[in-house]
Amino acid sequence: MLKIEDLHVEVEGKPILKGISLEVAAGEVHAIMGPNGSGKSTLAYVLAGREGYEVTKGSITYKGEDLLEMVPEARAAEGIFLGFQYPVAIPGVSNIYFLKAALNAIRKHRGQDPLDAIDFMKLSKEKAAIVQLPDELTKRSVNDGFSGGEKKRNEIFQMALLEPSLAVLDETDSGLDIDALKVVAQGVNALRGPERAMLVITHYQRLLDHIVPDVVHVLIDGRIVRTGDKNLAKQLEREGYSEVRDAPSL
Amino acid sequence: MTDTARQTLLRSLPASFETGPEWLRSLRARAADALREQGLPSKKTEAWRFTPVRSVVDAEFARAPGDAPALGSDVPEGVRARSLRAVLGSEPELLEGRLELAGPPEHFAALNTALFSDGLWIDVPAGTVVETPIEVTHAVARAGVSYPRVLVTTGESAELTIIETYTGAASDGLTNSVVELDLGPNAKVSHVRVHENAGMQVGRVDVRQAADSRYQSTVVTLGGALHRFDVRALLQGKGAECQLDGAYLVEGEDHVDHHTLVEHQAPYCRSDQTYRGIASGKGTTVFDGIVVVHRDAQKTEAHQENRNLLLSENATVHTKPHLEIDADDVVCSHGATVGSLDDDQLFYLRARGIPEDLAHAMLTFAFLESIVDRVRHEPTRARMREALLARIPHGDEIREVT
Repeated sequence: MLKIEDLHVEVEGKPILKGISLEVAAGEVHAIMGPNGSGKSTLAYVLAGREGYEVTKGSITYKGEDLLEMVPEARAAEGIFLGFQYPVAIPGVSNIYFLKAALNAIRKHRGQDPLDAIDFMKLSKEKAAIVQLPDELTKRSVNDGFSGGEKKRNEIFQMALLEPSLAVLDETDSGLDIDALKVVAQGVNALRGPERAMLVITHYQRLLDHIVPDVVHVLIDGRIVRTGDKNLAKQLEREGYSEVRDAPSL
Repeated sequence: MTDTARQTLLRSLPASFETGPEWLRSLRARAADALREQGLPSKKTEAWRFTPVRSVVDAEFARAPGDAPALGSDVPEGVRARSLRAVLGSEPELLEGRLELAGPPEHFAALNTALFSDGLWIDVPAGTVVETPIEVTHAVARAGVSYPRVLVTTGESAELTIIETYTGAASDGLTNSVVELDLGPNAKVSHVRVHENAGMQVGRVDVRQAADSRYQSTVVTLGGALHRFDVRALLQGKGAECQLDGAYLVEGEDHVDHHTLVEHQAPYCRSDQTYRGIASGKGTTVFDGIVVVHRDAQKTEAHQENRNLLLSENATVHTKPHLEIDADDVVCSHGATVGSLDDDQLFYLRARGIPEDLAHAMLTFAFLESIVDRVRHEPTRARMREALLARIPHGDEIREVT
């Protein structure tokens, strides 16, 4: 589904990603782990198409297409979803109405009819229940006045509603207490399926106790230094990033 | 001194005033004399520096037929709405001393005083609370100059909502309006003004507030060749409150100009101003707000904010909020910003699949809608939203999802 080859990315002239290669097949969950400043969020933004991230070398192929040619909304329409580390508040734009516009834009792209208000509300209620997001929050302005946990639940609610093929979750665990983390992880797990791939980006192993990955990559200083199974995450937790970086590859 | 002889608009001033009660003839004559001496403003007049005022004062205008605005089909119970011309004809003593409530007018307001032929007097007696808004429509259907005039008077503890709409597609007309509001003690007036007329307009709103009265003004100005509004609120009674909110939008070569002056003349008064503007195309917006706190106006609380979105390289925003404070025990703030749409917000919307131009429009609409949201009367709010949606790109799509 996703194939990243020798990806080099600069931000304001500074190299951040220095040759990343990665392949994710449908149905797989890959974790990207790394310390602060290793380039994890840069990878997430490049996948979603944010401006200001310059690809100087390499390629990203998504469902056989050149992803880097697509504007952000085209990527979303093709099934890419970015769960933001810091979801921005948008006062004056209602969560539910913005999602209706988003879902119907995506449906239009797929050649489907738009959902009417009644069907949409039904769908929204059903999806909000997955992450226990109160009805009142779905109607408020996007992330406006939401707590850290509510913002993250809102991200997963949106993912459930938009049903992406590739979900990129950027530090979905940051700022969550253990109960909120469990709710969010359950929401993510409910969306796992043979047609859907996920890239779970995290600093800490604890999220991966709840969202168990098929593959774990360790990203340090813009390069993937180790790749392994879920046990690699546990090893990282025990030994720290420097030990893992310096150990010879398995 | 302005060269008044070149100001075409002044040529319609008569040498003398022969009709109406004596007190009115004297007001008109004084206004005309002042105009002949001082003239209309020019580019050299400080408060008119950014307003392309020559296009108004040097243009040839025929007199448009009739100055009287139209009343909505139902005048709510408890409101007395009468034609100014009729009252001046039959019971002029009722209006003596009630016009020019903020003192002798100057410039365009003086011209209105000299030349208005008709208008509305809306009065709500003491203790009368009117829930249904009264609707006043100034339709500028034809080219030419008109001088609408509205006087609103409320007795003690009276409550009223008034919706004024300026409408009409004639782009070469000039509307020179004066609206005066005299709020009795503890009276509450909500005043909504929607300017969607295509032509030029200079408008003055004067408000005089007695103790504990509350005046809430919400203005929406949607483009126009040249729209210039001056609002002056005099907080004369202890504990009076005044809230001035505005949303405006220019595109093409529109010019929209909002000037406010809030005078805190008594203690324990509160004023709050929030104006938000969007400048696109080659349009120009001006916000110039002054809060004056007089020496005796202790315990004043005054806030003033002007936020602007500059959406085009060829558009211009002027903003100048300022304070003049002569009292020492006050809480005052003022601020202005000029910026573009927020990149994080735009990206968030696009990353969810919303096309870039629709994302722009959604954020632009939200920016202005927050002003409209302050109107308490729901049907009025809905109408103002509609007026905005009609002017915002992708308004139909935004309406569909909201």
